[in-house]
Amino acid sequence: MAAIAKQKTRTRGTKRDMEGYGFILPGVIYMILVVGYPIVYNFILSFKDTNVQNLAKGTSVFIGFQNYKELFSNPTFLLILKNTFIFTLGSLVFQFTIGYLLALFFYKKFTLAGPIRGLMLIPYMMPMAVTGLLGQNLFLQDGLINKILSWFGAGPLPWLTSTATAMVAVVIMNCWVGIPFNMLLLISGLSNVPEDVYEASAIDGASKMQQFFLITLPLMKDAILAVLMLGFIYTFRAFDLMFIMTSGGPLNSTDVLGTYSYTLSFTQYQFSKGSAVAIVLFLCLMVIGILYLVLIVKGEKDE
Amino acid sequence: MKRKLFSVLLSAAMVTSMAVPVLADDAASTDLKPNDKGAEELTLWHYFDSSADAQAIIDFCNEYNELQDEVYINPTYVSRQELMNQYTIGAVSGELPDIGMVDSPDMESYIALGVFEDVTDQFADWEEIENFYPGPLSSCKDADGNIYGLPQNSNCLCLAVNMDALAEAGIDEIPTNLEDFKAAVEATTDESQSRYGFSMSAVSTEEGTFQLLPWIVATHNGTKTSLSDLTAEDAAIGLDILGGFVANGQMSSECVNWTQADAYNQFCAGKAAMEELGTWQLATIEADVNGAFEYKVALLPTGDEGTSSSTIGGENFGICTGCKNTEEAVKFLKWFMSAEEEAKWATQAGKLPIRSDAEPVYDYEEEGFETFQEEMNYALARGPHAEWPTISEQIYTAAQKVFLNGESAADALAAANEVIAPILEENPLPEQ
Repeated sequence: MAAIAKQKTRTRGTKRDMEGYGFILPGVIYMILVVGYPIVYNFILSFKDTNVQNLAKGTSVFIGFQNYKELFSNPTFLLILKNTFIFTLGSLVFQFTIGYLLALFFYKKFTLAGPIRGLMLIPYMMPMAVTGLLGQNLFLQDGLINKILSWFGAGPLPWLTSTATAMVAVVIMNCWVGIPFNMLLLISGLSNVPEDVYEASAIDGASKMQQFFLITLPLMKDAILAVLMLGFIYTFRAFDLMFIMTSGGPLNSTDVLGTYSYTLSFTQYQFSKGSAVAIVLFLCLMVIGILYLVLIVKGEKDE
Repeated sequence: MKRKLFSVLLSAAMVTSMAVPVLADDAASTDLKPNDKGAEELTLWHYFDSSADAQAIIDFCNEYNELQDEVYINPTYVSRQELMNQYTIGAVSGELPDIGMVDSPDMESYIALGVFEDVTDQFADWEEIENFYPGPLSSCKDADGNIYGLPQNSNCLCLAVNMDALAEAGIDEIPTNLEDFKAAVEATTDESQSRYGFSMSAVSTEEGTFQLLPWIVATHNGTKTSLSDLTAEDAAIGLDILGGFVANGQMSSECVNWTQADAYNQFCAGKAAMEELGTWQLATIEADVNGAFEYKVALLPTGDEGTSSSTIGGENFGICTGCKNTEEAVKFLKWFMSAEEEAKWATQAGKLPIRSDAEPVYDYEEEGFETFQEEMNYALARGPHAEWPTISEQIYTAAQKVFLNGESAADALAAANEVIAPILEENPLPEQ
């Protein structure tokens, strides 16, 4: 009797499993077609030697890891890889710290806090192409930034015409967009911290500093992790800002993996090499993604 | 409250973003006439965007559509960058226009990519092709001599000189060799008027290469340097001098971000005493300088006395793979590039014709056009070479290394040669 009952539950379980699979099937098919296919195609392309000479003839052949070998022994690619990390980390550090400070500030309920917070979002709502053009003009030799610097007796700096400063200018423009985004997400993170914890800690004699480091930060861990993670992904695969503002120049000093992959594929017609760069970009982001998942799972276990 | 504010902000943003195209629309005057006859429609993609040629292409299509009943040519503007992307994507997906315009040095790559259709047979018994200048025509052919389209206009580079600035510096003659030019740039640089001696484009695109090439492929000590031997001692002379201009504050280092239009605007605004001028800019220079100073156009003084060098530019029109009606498309090209239409186009859009029997009568800047026509004799075609984009990248990169990092021209060109030489060894540039 017990055995029959077990059998029944199992069948019911399988049936319910089938239903479940049925429900996720459209999503899976969509993912395979729209996300999976291009990635797989790109992987295959990156192991071939497809270029301007053989694309039409269809005579490209598999050359194994040749493209990757060539890339990693090419000083320009290594510079671009370095640029990508500098750009990402530089942007993350500043947009996160400033975004966090602004979040703490605007979380206070003072008059007009809401509307000002809304206005702060304008840079984020602006199309990146507009931001790029704006950056191009702001950082001209006789542009606004140098004008402001001259009031303080500094400058003029050759912002976009020097390999040393062009990246700084691009990072500043990216932070301009990224700060409101960070602020917004962190404010919602802040609102998840219950008020009574602060009240209780205040009664126990905790200072403001202690409250921040021992209550606010730990309780916002998930939100902070998510912000950093999203920020990393958005920034690492940057393309449009550089493409418009500097075209990756001067001398590749603001070229990142995204723009370099585009240049190789669409300007130089070295399609396979362009794909290989895109795959490197993809793998870097995958590592970060896995790291994030590991942290999340570990966090859940700890709880 | 929050939602209300958000919607106000959002609508403000939308209104501002809509304002831009509305303003831009005002520029066009005559419109394309609709396809009233119900003729077969052939799409034509172009990137003519200056006021003169953008209008010309519409006028010419209107004229042809009225002239015959077989086809209706529908010109569509696509920005140059986007057009290039579309060709590259179209090479794989097959979604291409019927007729496509392309910058002459890019044509060879697109032929290799299969963007254009071989129409050699359709031109086989067209005797007029004899009248086309060989340079521009060669850019429409593949390595085996098959034809994929026709050149439509050509241009090259000359020197624009602010005569007032020259006189102010105590120089009464326009420099005709590199030495004198160097002295003139030095003398006309005037910090108090925030005026540089020279302006040009050295931007990291084909435009930069276009403007840089004359200074690299020039005649020094009686020999003409060439792209196939960039390590020759004399190949570095021109670039070395340009680098000196930047280092000494006689040319703005911003030239590495300037397009040709930017460099031209510097000249017209009196911020540069001399400038590397493109033929097409003659159409607007008088209005843009607006009487602020006297200007003249001269041959580019890139080397020895009595020599000059320049680069051939221009656009081709090719028949795209999968064209709906190749025969009619070719017929259109034969009309579009006939001697009569070529002459008309050259005057209306400020270009040079690509065939010897077209005789444009310019009613403005006559002297300037004459100089440009003479300069054409010394102008070098880029390629044709399927890997021209890679060669081109090496050239502007070398120049930027000199301008920005202060590298020696010889070192920068040697580094470029390391990439260019193997490409040319496998597939040499045609003799010219």
